Amino acid sequence: MITNTSNVALTTPATGSESAPSLSRRQSTMTYVHQYGIIVAFFLLCVGLSLSSEYFLTPKNIINVLRQTSINGILAIGMTLVILARGIDLSVGSVLALSGIVAASLATGETPQPAWVAVTAGLGVGLACGLVNGLVISRLSVPPFVATLGMLSVARGLTYIYSEGMPIPDLSQSFLWLGQGRIWQIPVPVLFLAATFIIFWVVLNKTVFGRYIYAVGGNERSARTAGIGTKKVLVAVYGLAGMLAGLGGLILTARTTAGLPQAGQSYELDAIAAVVIGGTSLNGGVGTIRGTLFGALIIGVINNGLDLLGVSSFYQQVVKGCIIVCAVLLDPARRFRD
Amino acid sequence: MKLTKRTLLALLLGSCTFAGLSSARAEKPVKVAAAVYGLRSEFMKVWTDWLKEHPEVKNGGVKLTVFDGRYDPNVQNDQFDSIIVQQFDAIIFVPLDIEAGGRTVTKAISAGIPVIGANARANSKALTSYVGSNDNEGGAIEAQYIVDKLGGKGNVVILEGPIGQSGQVERLKGIMSVLDKHPDIKILERKTANWSRAEALALMENWLTAHPGKIQGVIGENDEMAIGAIQAIKAAGLNVKDFAIVGVDGVKDAIRAAKGGEMVSILQDAKAQAQGAMDIALRAVRGESYQPQSDIWKHYGDKLPWKDGIQKNYDVPWTIITEANADEVMKMVTNK
Repeated sequence: MITNTSNVALTTPATGSESAPSLSRRQSTMTYVHQYGIIVAFFLLCVGLSLSSEYFLTPKNIINVLRQTSINGILAIGMTLVILARGIDLSVGSVLALSGIVAASLATGETPQPAWVAVTAGLGVGLACGLVNGLVISRLSVPPFVATLGMLSVARGLTYIYSEGMPIPDLSQSFLWLGQGRIWQIPVPVLFLAATFIIFWVVLNKTVFGRYIYAVGGNERSARTAGIGTKKVLVAVYGLAGMLAGLGGLILTARTTAGLPQAGQSYELDAIAAVVIGGTSLNGGVGTIRGTLFGALIIGVINNGLDLLGVSSFYQQVVKGCIIVCAVLLDPARRFRD
Repeated sequence: MKLTKRTLLALLLGSCTFAGLSSARAEKPVKVAAAVYGLRSEFMKVWTDWLKEHPEVKNGGVKLTVFDGRYDPNVQNDQFDSIIVQQFDAIIFVPLDIEAGGRTVTKAISAGIPVIGANARANSKALTSYVGSNDNEGGAIEAQYIVDKLGGKGNVVILEGPIGQSGQVERLKGIMSVLDKHPDIKILERKTANWSRAEALALMENWLTAHPGKIQGVIGENDEMAIGAIQAIKAAGLNVKDFAIVGVDGVKDAIRAAKGGEMVSILQDAKAQAQGAMDIALRAVRGESYQPQSDIWKHYGDKLPWKDGIQKNYDVPWTIITEANADEVMKMVTNK
């Protein structure tokens, strides 16, 4: 039974499989239903909102929703990798703030550095934080929850130390373009989200590395026996999640036109929520990046819709909480593992 | 070896006694504790920096220790205990929570330590004195600006602080006291953005969609949120100057936006609050002979009279920041 499940995880991420026995077919059917359940739920939500507000389905508002989803979506894609590898990353909000502040400090002043320098620095800071997470977890065997909780605190502290608690305004126009520019009428943050989605969809579905992530999350021991360098996979996964947090930090900074030391607080929770709503199992090994995208979109649409309808933000939190719990209740993998 | 150790010890003890004597001969520095609710906002950071710039702190007459309450009333409570144990001479107190703040004050006062409230009021009659800007009045000035700018008629939205915090409660009261008198000003939306620029940005984007072409005025209960609204208006491809936008605090970004004619901010004078509180604390410790050292009393003159430093309440006036005086205000808040 145990070997069976691990086999399933090794050979089949979330799609069907030829080799696995009937159990996996049942599981994959459930996953299939669950995957489409999310998309159906998303469209029902959209239909409901477009009936309640005439502005919901306007091009401008759709762009707004996408733009407001972009940062959480990018963080959630990184979080998906981590959770698929049976981990968790609580530090993304703090890493986002640190990357944003560092990039802002380079893009400000009388003679700002060119945007690409600030961007490279921001992504580099995120990557470095993520690599530290990955090394502490894989080499020192610290549980992911603890290691990234530590990073949450350290990165936030460094943000305040570096910025002395003050926002960093006056950013160069070329840097601001990251948050405010448009290409063919589409806001740049949305394009970043789209690019991130496509890249990581390919990574997870078409590359060996992607398979390894599923394998490590499904059953680390079997994965190691199968000859996968699980520690390297973990370091890479946390590094990528950190780098995506850095990208989120760049976009947020450019969107708010200043590096803000208190930015990104509790963003990790929204990212985890998007992943969970999207059907990825917190037990690792099962889930898709497409699910996560729809999870992030559902959160974005709820926030946007309730604003349009003039509903108090207090209800917004209640609705979001209920959806997260319902999504986990529907999680098919849960039944097989528990 | 033993001898050397003993000699060293004797020398050490001797030098300690000597140091003790020599400092006792000069006037002993007054130990002042500043317990502020949190250093993670620009305003409170600037505020404590001004405290450190007080002439008495700089010339060594005051030994100042800042306690960061980390936005947790419980942390502030614990810090008060340790301040009392360490026998500070006076406390400057900026509470996070109005109600929890009250108990803390009584504890210190009954231990014989004067407590000067500053910036945000603690709900306690026991406070030795209070120096702050009346948030209610600040809100009213904001609303009055919008009413005047719109000619008494139009649609506005209000970006609120975290619900229940004294800044939010009092500023809203002030805003409503003015808007209630002008029934032709319609409030289209009112929601919290938790003092946050990023939250206000998304909220304003959604409001611009929900009320296309209808919003004419934006009242931010602080500057950060008003700036977020400006970004949303720009992102929607609209002209910021078609809107009447107002915020409170006078943070640097807001002063810059005011200079560009994009908004108006109401300056809450951190320097006057912080250094005023320090002067009053020193008056409480050193007695009648103490003369205030900060130049803020001269700056405000009759608008903020010293009155021997024993009043229960000192209201630091608000200053409206517009295109006209933005440069001057910027100089005032950055020059130390």
